[in-house]
Formats: sequence, structure tokens, C-alpha cells
Amino acid sequence: MGIKISDGLLKSVEKPSRYTGNEWNSVIKDPESINIRFAFCFPDTYEIGMSHLGMKILYHLLNERSDCYCERVFAPWTDMEGKMRENNIPLYALETKDPIKNFDFAGFTLQYEMSFSNIVNMLDLAGIPILSEERVQGAPFVCAGGPCAYNPEPLADIVDFFMMGEGEEIINEVMDVYGQWKGTGRTRLEFLEEIAKLEGIYVPSFYKFDYNEDGTIKELIPLKPQYPLSIRKRIIKDMDDAYFPEKIVVPYTDIVHDRIMLEIFRGCTRGCRFCQAGFIYRPVREKSPERLLELAKKLEESTGYEEISLTSLSTSDYTGLEPLTTGLLEDMEERKVNLSLPSLRIDSFSLDLMEKAQKVRKSGLTFAPEAGTQRLRDVINKGVAEEDLLKAVSLAFNGGWNGVKLYFMLGLPTETLEDVEGIADLAYKVVDVYRNVPRDRKGKGLNVTVSTATFVPKAFTPFQWEAQDGIANVHEKQMHLKDRIRSKQITYNYHENKLSFMEAVFARGDRRVCKVLIRAWQMGCRFDGWGEHFNYDVWMKAFEECGVDPYFYVTRKREYDEIFPWDHIDVGVSKKYLINENKKAVEGKVTPNCSVYCGGCGAAGFKSGICEKQA
Amino acid sequence: MVNIRVKFRRGEEVKFISHLDLMKVFERAIRRARLPIAYSQGFNPHPGMVFGLPLSVGVTSEAEYGDFEITDDSLSMDEFMNRLNSQLPAGLEVLAARARQTKQNIMATIAASEYTVVAGAGTDCTERRLKDCIGRYLSQKEIIVKKKTKSGVKDTDIRNMIFDLDFALQPCGGLNIIRLSMLVSAGSKANLKPELLVESLLGILETDYEIDRIHRSKLYVRSGEELLEPMDARVL
Repeated sequence: MGIKISDGLLKSVEKPSRYTGNEWNSVIKDPESINIRFAFCFPDTYEIGMSHLGMKILYHLLNERSDCYCERVFAPWTDMEGKMRENNIPLYALETKDPIKNFDFAGFTLQYEMSFSNIVNMLDLAGIPILSEERVQGAPFVCAGGPCAYNPEPLADIVDFFMMGEGEEIINEVMDVYGQWKGTGRTRLEFLEEIAKLEGIYVPSFYKFDYNEDGTIKELIPLKPQYPLSIRKRIIKDMDDAYFPEKIVVPYTDIVHDRIMLEIFRGCTRGCRFCQAGFIYRPVREKSPERLLELAKKLEESTGYEEISLTSLSTSDYTGLEPLTTGLLEDMEERKVNLSLPSLRIDSFSLDLMEKAQKVRKSGLTFAPEAGTQRLRDVINKGVAEEDLLKAVSLAFNGGWNGVKLYFMLGLPTETLEDVEGIADLAYKVVDVYRNVPRDRKGKGLNVTVSTATFVPKAFTPFQWEAQDGIANVHEKQMHLKDRIRSKQITYNYHENKLSFMEAVFARGDRRVCKVLIRAWQMGCRFDGWGEHFNYDVWMKAFEECGVDPYFYVTRKREYDEIFPWDHIDVGVSKKYLINENKKAVEGKVTPNCSVYCGGCGAAGFKSGICEKQA
Repeated sequence: MVNIRVKFRRGEEVKFISHLDLMKVFERAIRRARLPIAYSQGFNPHPGMVFGLPLSVGVTSEAEYGDFEITDDSLSMDEFMNRLNSQLPAGLEVLAARARQTKQNIMATIAASEYTVVAGAGTDCTERRLKDCIGRYLSQKEIIVKKKTKSGVKDTDIRNMIFDLDFALQPCGGLNIIRLSMLVSAGSKANLKPELLVESLLGILETDYEIDRIHRSKLYVRSGEELLEPMDARVL
């Protein structure tokens, strides 16, 4: 029976409807008739987790099975956590309010590194042992997937098994094996050994690492000869055949993305060298416009949402954009559904499209040149030339837009002060473009916003060998840039970069940072992605106490022959290709878009999507 | 254009959602039900929908009201109600729908509300003491409480906002369960929250208590001297 939470308690916390469930399209099943209970855990708040498309897909996919009941679990905000601990309320699932301690699986999705402390906290709140070695027969299996699972080692002591790559098929295979295993009296180890035979499953406790004297990895050693030495990610070959829910949960309370998300393709053809998503989601696979139009209709009917958003890494690269948007505008006009088009490259087609699609004011358009000079943009393989950007901005101003947001990164490999100044120069050039647009055409009052984020080197990118720029260095660059931007029409936004430093630890951390994570949690760290909760000093203290040097992971440049903690994970892109890309980066040589020319990254081995079309 | 007044129930399942979120729930249910709701003109069209007095978070009700404007004259009240109900989440249910002629919308006309408050109190709070307490409480010429307003906490006299107050008491375990029924001012002119009344009333007894639940059983509009239910033919 579900836990009863008193009205008084719920009334005393912020946004109680985060904790009460019962939303439209949430799945109700009788737990008595179910063999497998799966707690889908999102290690952040309800509003963030409910905005995540992957969770929507897998939640409904698992619930299609008659032997399985998948329920949702989010990290309770600190006020609710306090009340739960005070009243001995264990972490429960939103649908039945049953404690997840008694479930078969607690599955976490790893979307960003700074949510890791919430995983530890949620396990503790649930009463599930934090370390996998302490979980005995009857405890749930703790599993994880998502982009941050590609470097699984910082969570190696906590997670029983990882699912690498896209979850739609593999999660069903794991459930099938579990259904056979449950109730037979066989051990946890036997179950893990059985699923380790599936492609894409990584069981960290089956391996140990040997280290060199300098702290780098000497060797990964499987504890038994049958454990695989390389774990290859899974992908969905045909996106039109892949499962996609026709109903999604419609929350009561405002969430970050409160709309229908229509996933138009996976992967990205551009190969920007800093971007992890651009490599780990290869190859590019599209859904057809026909399938998307059909899904849009069904989702609109089942949810009543008034907005549809196209989701992908780069909307403009979708080859069916024209028929899709024409069809959607036609189908949805009568329903008064708005179409939102994120990550759209600005040209006359897209401006015209936005005009038709969005009934919003012509305020802000977003551009991400990422670097201030052409030299550095070539280094990172960001295929944007200054004249393209200025042309696009000019088009926008002529069309009545008057706000431009420009996103950049600081601390990119090979960056010099000249590149930093280039950011300011580019912003001023945008202002000049506005000045030259005839008064009667442009909107009143120009507003250019420049935002910089600190570059974090990530695993499986050509920059995985690079050092992150030091906190003080980046700060200096921020101040220099601030000094350069004097125009009232330009606003400069930047953040303290201590959070980026921590992100860098986990992005390329190994098994030894896991104990730091647990120690930091014991010392109170949670919701590190939220400025008001992030405490750098506590983290540094945890490193010190555990005898782990964070700089080893963050500011150290690696050699090409170094063995990385994630080398046994195979995302389909070869290390050789990444080394070559790294060399080309330093030389400032660009690599063409996959849609133009195949660079031989290795993803063709999946025999799917764009790689098949080229072959 | 047809104007429809709807009476609906708001149960345990949805008592923690805010008033603003409730409006969104109805808007999306109407969209799913494909009901021909009228939209306002302009940049951000809004559906023709007005709700009565917002219910505090955590309170259930069997007497909530909303006014809807639809564009199809041929749609019957029953069909409107059935189609809407088929798309409302558990805990929300339309109990009645009637055509509305009056120009005044529900929000502007609410005057009073009837609540039941169930609270657990110590055994020192006996039937006799409580009866005596209510008698004394109501015989006061003015009852000053600290009321939260937009501009801060203000001393307010609530005596004239209490029209009726009754109670029942039942021992249960080591507690006395008090059931207070009250008819109080509601609406934009004067509005008394039941918690505030209970706090000032039981404050006299100096007894420990905890409110278990609050339920709205009726909502009234004023018609001259009379209080009428919003679905009353004389109101509509």
C-alpha cells in the first residue's frame, strides 16, 4: 500500500503538486498483477525531469509491457527532503506512492554530471544501500543510462549496471531476462552475468583497474575471462519503426518544457569538436515527415497541448523540414497549436517559417558562434563564418527583430586574448549591422546579449585530451571581455566557473572520484546544478579528505597513448578518428559536415541513417 | 455564442494544484474534448473561461463554478458536460451545466461560502467548552485578527464576515475530532479563509489542534438580501 503523506506536510512545502501525481495520461496499473516494478528516477526536480523526452519514451515503453509497471521518481526539493527525513518517509514512486525500496529496479537517467550527488541522496532517501556491493538479494537493481553513462566510472561503485546508448530495445531485453530470473532463487550475480551477455550492458563490478605510478590507468582487468572487454552502445536503426509514445503525461504544474516534443532526428552531422552530443549520438537518423505528422496529430489529441516543439540537435539540418513544417502548420492551424522551432539556423527560409509559425513577439533570436575569431571557430570546427552570421542578423533586423543573443565559450583549446576580444568585436559588428538597417524596417531598441560559458572537455570528443582552462584564467578572460564591452546596447552575461570545474572532474573522472562523490554528499552536497545549493568549498574539502586531486582530472593535458577510464566503452567513433580530429584542430583545419563528406569516424559500422545513404 | 455555467467537484486527487494550474487543466481538457470554446482576439488568444473564487491549496470542494463561452449554439448542456467529463483527470468532475443569460460572470458575484473544517484537538477541548467558546466568540461585537493582505499583515474585524457557525465533536482515540461548519464571506469584496476563523476561535480555548481537512460544500452569490446558489434559475 502506498505511503500516506499528510496534508499538513504537503501544505508546508513549495509546489506540493510535484509530489502528488495523478496527472493526465499517467499510467495506473494494479501492482498486484505485475511481475516487474521499475522506478524511473530522474535525479533532479519534477519540473526538470518531466521536461525530459527520454524519460517520456521509456516510461510509456516499459508500461506497454503487461508484466511491468514503470513509475516516476524525482528528486524531492530540499524542503520536502527535510520533511521526509523528519517524518521517516522513504522515497516513493509518484503513481502508487509505494516505497521504491521494494521495487525490482531503480533506473537513473544521467543527463548532466552535476546531478550525481542527487543520485546518492535519492538512494539514501529510499533506504537502498548506496554501494552496489552492499545490496543483497531482494534489494532493487540500480541501473543507469543517458549521455553521462558513456563515462560510467565516477558512479562505478554505486550502479549495478549501465545501459549504453539508446534504451528503447535494450531495456526490454533486460526486462525479459529479469522476468526469467525473478523467483528462481538464482543470485544477483547470476542475473548480472546473464545481462552482461547483451550488447550494451556494462557491469562495473566485473572489472578492476590497475594504475600507473603517475595516477594514469595501466590496465582494465575483467575479473572473469567471459566478461566483455569492450561494450558497444546500442542504437535504434530505423527511427520510423522505433517506439514513440502516442500519449504523454500532461503535468498540472508548470514544467520547463510544457509542450509536445517531436523528435525529428538523432545525432548531428556537424562534428563540432567540443560537442559530446555530436559524437555519442552518431550516426544521424531521421524520422520521416509522414511519421512525424501522424505522431503530432495523435499527441495533440491525447494531451490537449497548445504547443509543439521540434526536437533535435540542429533543426535546420533536417532534410524534411519543408514538408514537415508545411504539414504541421496546416494541420495545427485550426487547433490553434503553436509551433516552436529551436536550434534553427537563421536564413530567409527560417525567418519566413518563424513568422508563420510563432505567434510571438519578434524579440530575441539566438546565435551560437561559440568563438570570437574565425581561427578559433576553425579549431572547434564550428562551421559558421562571420559574414554568414552578419548576413543572418541583417535579415532578422530587416524583418523587424531587434534582439540578438550570442553564445560563446571561453577556455577553448588554443584560445588567446585575441580570440576573447573577437567576441566583443563580433558583438559590435552586430550593432553596426543594426545601425545600417533602414529605420522603417527594424524594430525599436537594439538589444545584443553576449553570454559566455566555460568550456568543459568531454569524453569521446576530439578535445578529450585537452586541459580545462584554470578558474583564475577564465575569470581574467571574463573581466577582460567585460572591460571591452562598453556599449549600452550590449549586455554581457557570464557565470562563476567553479561549477564548470566540478563538471570537468566528473566528465573525465575515473573510479576513484566515486568516493569523493559519496563523501561530498555526506557533507551536504545535493542539487549542485542549482546555484543556490552548489558549494565548491565543500567539494574541495571532500577531495582533500579522500586524498584525490581534482586537478589531475581537470587541468591536465593527456598524451594520445593514455588509457582513458572510458576506453572500454565503444560509441562507434574510433579513438584514431578522434586523435586525427584533435590534430586537425590544433592546425586549424576544418572537417566537412557528414552530409557532404564521410570522414570515416567509424559510425558507419552501425549501418544506419546517413551512413547508409552515403554508402 | 452560448454562455454556460458549470458546477464542478474538486476532490482529494487534485486539491494540491494551484488555481492557475487548474485553469490550464480545464483548457487542455476542453481542447482534448474538441469543445468549441470561444477564443479571445489578439496576439495571445485566451479561451473564454472564467472561474469562481479560487480554492486554497489543500482544500477540496463540491461547489466550484466556472463560466464558459462556446461558439456552437446546437451543443446541448448534457453533451458539453459529458464530453468535458470524459477528458478531466481523476478528482475533477462536472456536476451540472446550465445556460447562462446573466451578463455578470461568476467571479464578480460570489458573496459567501460554506466550509467544513475537520480538526483534531486535545481531550481538554470538550463539547461543553467548545459550545461555550463558540457562544462567547459570536457574541463579540468585533473579532480582530491579523489578516495577510498584499500590503502586509493588517488587523481586520471579521465578525461581520461570519454568517453562521456550528460544530460537532466526536472522541476518537486520544483526540477529540471537531467538525466545524461555517458560512462566511467570500469573494472579492470580503473574503474570510476558514483557517483564520478556526485559529481565532480555538485560540480562545488555548487548546492544541491540527486541521486535518477543509472542504467547501457551497458557494453563494448575493441577490438583493438573499444568498442564492450560482446555478439557481433566478441567478442565471
